[in-house]
Amino acid sequence: MISRRKFIQVTSAASAYLIVGCMSDAQGNKNVSTGLTDDPTKIDLNQFISIGKDGSITLFNHRPEMGQGTYQSIPMILAEELEVSIDEVEIKQSAANREIYGSQMVVGSRSIQTEFEKLRMMGATARELLKQAASKRWKVDVNNCKAVNGTVVAPSGDILKYGELVEDAGKLQVSQDPKLKVPSEFKVIGTPVARRDIPFKTNGEAKFGIDLSVPGMLHASIERSPVFLGSVKSFNKEEVLKVNGVRHVLQTSREVFGQTREGVAVLADTYWQAMQGRKMLKVEWDTKGLEAVSDATIRKDSFEEAAKRDGDELFGKGDVKQAFKNNKNIIEASYVTPYQAHVPMEPMNAIVSIMDGNAEFWGSTQNPNGVRSFLAKKYNLSEEAVKVNYTFMGGGFGRRSMTDVVEEAADLSKQAGAPVKVIWTREDDQTQGPFRACSVNICKATLDNSGKVDALEHKVIAQEIQNQSGDNMTAGRQLMGGINTDFLIPNLSVKGILKKRHIPISYWRAVYHSTNPFAHECFIDELAIAAKKDPLQFRLDMLDHPRYVSVLEAVAEKTDWRSGKKAGIGRGLAAVERSGAYFAMVVEVTKRDGKVVPTKITTAIDLGICINPDTVKAQTEGSIVMGLGAAYYGLTIENGAVVEQNFHTYPLLKISQCPEIETYILESTAPPDGAGEAGLPTVAPALANAIFDLTGKRIRQLPIQMDKVV
Amino acid sequence: MTKIALRINGQSKEIDIDPQMPLLWSIRDFVGLTGTKFGCGIAQCGACTVHMDGVPVRSCVIPTSAAADKEITTIEGLSENNDHPVQLAWIKAQVPQCGYCQSGQIMSAAALLKTNPNPTDEEIDSAMNNVLCRCGTYPRIRKAIKEASKL
Repeated sequence: MISRRKFIQVTSAASAYLIVGCMSDAQGNKNVSTGLTDDPTKIDLNQFISIGKDGSITLFNHRPEMGQGTYQSIPMILAEELEVSIDEVEIKQSAANREIYGSQMVVGSRSIQTEFEKLRMMGATARELLKQAASKRWKVDVNNCKAVNGTVVAPSGDILKYGELVEDAGKLQVSQDPKLKVPSEFKVIGTPVARRDIPFKTNGEAKFGIDLSVPGMLHASIERSPVFLGSVKSFNKEEVLKVNGVRHVLQTSREVFGQTREGVAVLADTYWQAMQGRKMLKVEWDTKGLEAVSDATIRKDSFEEAAKRDGDELFGKGDVKQAFKNNKNIIEASYVTPYQAHVPMEPMNAIVSIMDGNAEFWGSTQNPNGVRSFLAKKYNLSEEAVKVNYTFMGGGFGRRSMTDVVEEAADLSKQAGAPVKVIWTREDDQTQGPFRACSVNICKATLDNSGKVDALEHKVIAQEIQNQSGDNMTAGRQLMGGINTDFLIPNLSVKGILKKRHIPISYWRAVYHSTNPFAHECFIDELAIAAKKDPLQFRLDMLDHPRYVSVLEAVAEKTDWRSGKKAGIGRGLAAVERSGAYFAMVVEVTKRDGKVVPTKITTAIDLGICINPDTVKAQTEGSIVMGLGAAYYGLTIENGAVVEQNFHTYPLLKISQCPEIETYILESTAPPDGAGEAGLPTVAPALANAIFDLTGKRIRQLPIQMDKVV
Repeated sequence: MTKIALRINGQSKEIDIDPQMPLLWSIRDFVGLTGTKFGCGIAQCGACTVHMDGVPVRSCVIPTSAAADKEITTIEGLSENNDHPVQLAWIKAQVPQCGYCQSGQIMSAAALLKTNPNPTDEEIDSAMNNVLCRCGTYPRIRKAIKEASKL
């Protein structure tokens, strides 16, 4: 439901701007607002489009940018319907304000899919107003006027620029829903438009949270318990205060999904001094016996829990139990994945000032509205008293959807009576979490006489992000992310066994889709081998979902799959749906100097309408690089703490390890889905399946120790 | 605290600091050029790469005192108008995603091309191997360096 509002705030005729915005009301109805103002910086309505009498066109991007490219693709959608050249508009970042912009959080590859219709509606509304204004001036039928590249063209061939129509258009009421373009009419959407944020990411000009400073601020570095959930017993405050530049040594804490994590902060005039003070700091921690926790104990209790409990059914059809009674020839396999840190290249940081009944935040966040609400609630302020200044993010991957670092900076600002900038070290980032959850997946299946899967049960034993504390031990549907229930298996069951642990977890690119498919798509491969069938055909025989079929057929064709194996090359296949986008991948591996290495990765994605194919390709390349890193490396828990401290022991994928990547985007006129994570879930299973194809060695545990695969 | 004279991007600047403080923090917090980034603090990621007398170095582990009287070039000083061949190639190949590591990538690539104007794929991988990118822009970095070598 779209309704319309109009406003006019013109006090002088010197300048005028046609503003178009869109707000959702409590019922979820979208209200498009249009109107005139002489000062677009003063209006309190949201704005996505501003067209000046001087001909200037500004399009606003209301979502923070962490590399995903919506900085460009959101304005592209507006420009499409508005009929302006994307190269001639100015792009501006919106302020953080949930009330007027709705959610501005960037998670789950959702920005385009949730905003597409609204953005088009606003572009089309503005275009139709300008056309109407022109038709009135010319006294011709509006239906005979055309909007072309920032102008309206009359049947006679007369032309009026948008800027010339601003004042008339701003006074008009659009009475009906504007007609949206059909995909065949798209000129901007679907083209590889160069990203406007890229030039200032090549000369040092782009500002990230860590680059900001505010007058009078102190710098903080925080020591936290190496053993998770250790609490502060004592610390040598007086000694640390003697370090040059150190102003305060303060206890602080942050909450991560219901559990409070303590730390001791050193505040100094400069960050270097704060780090020097931290080196002198000696904290005695009460670790409560939690140093007994290790990967070995985690794995052991996961399997013990699975032996004790059947788990909560998250998806079920047919009767798996009966099927397993009828057919004793059960194939079973377990898969194990480790904790992973997010490792954005920009270390976590925040500047917060809590003073005089006001709060202000400066920094990089995936969730500017969340930061605002958090600070308002925590310090009992109205949202109006909280200002959020967000910048580009040096990577997010889910980590920057959290407010825990903001909480630390705010608490320290309140205690110290000055703005405080907290910067986490790389070691803090890798050892403190929250992480991607580790998991154990147990899969069981039987085949029928024709070699098709008759029954399949997939159990996920893991922590759940939204249920990390408290007594509720029922697994939620989040735990089954990435498990393909579209397979035509008569008896299919997905069960979750919730484990609560004190090691904090959070959203990590593709979330449970980054772990469950390693088990599921490897297990499907194991079943294909058991059935003596080609893994591609085995999958196709179980699928009538057109989008799954089309991406599988596309990668098969591009890799010449049906021509059979090539000498010395192993091939592995996987297909997963993530955020509505269907994605298939073939990994090819070979032996080089006695070691198995991936040489080429071919992918096909069906994400509905593709806004910017170059951005989708970049996101796919990035997802693959991150997915390969997570297949090769993981965090190890020993003595209650993370072993790996920095990049020398927890490496990211390096350029020399990056195989050739080919991405094919399937044509579609369906509404757009998310592309920011779709390329990641298939990486580990397709790689493991390729390794099996080449070597006969079945990988069931991540990280894969590639040095040992021969 | 010690007074140290730095030559950065052709300009002189005297700062009063702990001489052991790494050059990275002098550049960022005292000279005020924030294009050079903090990534790991132990010379493992390359986000802090600058040129010292024309040679790429990891500014996060070089004491500022060791940089005195040397010619330092940061990303801000690589070109006047963002038109160094590497920068032009970076824009053409649409390399950056989040952009955070890209100063280090670009400074490393520029140093590579200065000593080896036509690097092979292997030489690119070898020179760029310890400059980390979490967004995974590596395929485009390879392409852009090839492109820059032609400019």
